[in-house]
Amino acid sequence: MPSSLSTKLHARPEQSVLFGLALKDLFYDKKISLCVVASVLAVVGPLLLLFGLKFGIVSQLRGELLSDPRNKEVQMTASARLDEEWFATLRKASGVGFVLPLTRSLNTQADLFVDGRRFLENVELIPTAAGDPLLGDLSVPTQDSEVVLSRTAADRLKLEVGDTLNLRVVRTLDKTLERAQMQVRVRAILPPQAISRPAVLITLPLLIAVEDYRDGVKVAMLSSVTGTEPARRSHFARARIYADSIDSVERVAERLQELGIETNSRVAEIKSVQAIDRVLGFVFAVIAWAAALGCAASMIGALMANIERKRKDLALLRLFGYGRRSMLSYVIAQALCLTVIGFGLGCAMYFIGSYTFNHILAIHLTRGTFVCRLEFIHFGIGLASAMAISVVVCAFGGLLATKIEPAESLRDV
Amino acid sequence: MSRPVLSIAQLALERGRNDQVFRIDVPKLELMPGEIVAIVGPSGCGKSTLLETIGLLLDARHAERFSIDDIDIRASMGLSQAKREALWARIRQHGLGFVPQTGGLLPFLNVWQNICLPVQMSGGNTVDPIVHLLIRRLNLETLLCRMPRELSIGERQRVSFVRSLARRPTLLLADEPTAALDPGLSQELFALIVEIARQESIATLIVTHEWDLVGQFSLPSLKGQAESAGRVVFNA
Repeated sequence: MPSSLSTKLHARPEQSVLFGLALKDLFYDKKISLCVVASVLAVVGPLLLLFGLKFGIVSQLRGELLSDPRNKEVQMTASARLDEEWFATLRKASGVGFVLPLTRSLNTQADLFVDGRRFLENVELIPTAAGDPLLGDLSVPTQDSEVVLSRTAADRLKLEVGDTLNLRVVRTLDKTLERAQMQVRVRAILPPQAISRPAVLITLPLLIAVEDYRDGVKVAMLSSVTGTEPARRSHFARARIYADSIDSVERVAERLQELGIETNSRVAEIKSVQAIDRVLGFVFAVIAWAAALGCAASMIGALMANIERKRKDLALLRLFGYGRRSMLSYVIAQALCLTVIGFGLGCAMYFIGSYTFNHILAIHLTRGTFVCRLEFIHFGIGLASAMAISVVVCAFGGLLATKIEPAESLRDV
Repeated sequence: MSRPVLSIAQLALERGRNDQVFRIDVPKLELMPGEIVAIVGPSGCGKSTLLETIGLLLDARHAERFSIDDIDIRASMGLSQAKREALWARIRQHGLGFVPQTGGLLPFLNVWQNICLPVQMSGGNTVDPIVHLLIRRLNLETLLCRMPRELSIGERQRVSFVRSLARRPTLLLADEPTAALDPGLSQELFALIVEIARQESIATLIVTHEWDLVGQFSLPSLKGQAESAGRVVFNA
């Protein structure tokens, strides 16, 4: 007949009770808990602030670069002879976001005319198409009779979206001054920062029509009846070229260099932001490692001293039937709990600090652009790293706990 | 017919470092339910070591027979450390009650939580009725919400004893439970342990150096005597 004891042996001690004990222990030992929380807080708070500043400054600089589509532009400094194949190749090249043929620079001008009082002479013509970075979210002209005005042009002509105006081109053909014009409708108006001067974005066919007209060709679109017969356009003098992101600008410029085309771009400004990002990233990494090591060392110290102090209590738990591994869980649960509390307080410290930076310091800066900013993911990564460090620290300190023998609880040593 | 709760024959254990090994032998020890045996002997003769071995806290070197409530401990002595420790922890958890010399209470739990801990950690929610009886009898009601640091040593030892009964152990092991108490309190607690063990039929081993108490309650004893240098034999 089996003994009554042997039938009970399968039941292991409850781990949930163990975690409850671990928490009660922490609460009872407030002073030591506070020390560990403080050592986590002392590292997490300043690190979050530091990283917030780094991220804020870099993302603001990047944001400024990104918000201005001209930063993605790679301008050709001289005219060339670019055929359709050249454009097709460039479109496929990596890093290239937008390519559109452009006519000779002298021909990218026309007069805009509404009535006798509202007119602009020699306004810059810019060809546009779907995907034009200058347009952003604005609607693209779908017909040759639709245009997009720059804010300055729209203001000077007192035009709104949907209004009509005339586009006028002048040429000298056989020593006679000729003038052609076409009525166009305002499809959209660019935001002021996109182009600061008066300009009008038109479709490529319209731009080609303007150039052809100036070249003395008979252009149906501009209702001209004189001049030479039109021929099929096989090449262009220049191109509007944009990289798909500011990080690709350098690559695109190099690619064009390889094709023998001299360019002008804002690679230098972009590189300086990237350099700031790298340098700040490096500085942050060094400080973070130093701080994390210091925190780990102080946690190891606190933890080991704590385990020594609690030897009898832990031995008692072993006496009651908890295993060696449970002692490790006990210590890890406590460390994780303190880490989470310390991290939470560190976040509070960060929010107070970043508020100070953003609201109080910003007053002293002319543009009010001082930014300390973190995203949700950064807090997540921060918490995960802090917990990982405390688990590693515990694995060292906790090994001490697993060596505790249950017999230690009985003896008064 | 009742069976012995503890049955030991030719148990041998060794303790100490290389140059100072000392060996403890127990030729025979049998404990029936409700039977109380005192382990006595001069200081340093290995009384506590013997109790810890029987309490499955230390590994014995050799035994011809070693069983607790018909569970063959001798067979488990050959298991790997991890398996042996796991099995012995289960036996301690479910079958043994311990009353340590001092302390033995978790400082962060109040008296009642300390008493209930062995029950809680085994997933139960009711303590043995004897606990309520003892709390009333020992006037512990007013102390239940106190923390251990607020208790006197005598009170702590009483609480510790009450807790050892929370799950009605098969075998109760007390390691000099009265050592830290003054003579009056010492006799009181000793008498209580003896009375409850007899009344509740709990087999009990008490390590003590108080010969007069052993005599007073006419307890059978296991005396440790040095046979030769570094060898102690415990005989009835």
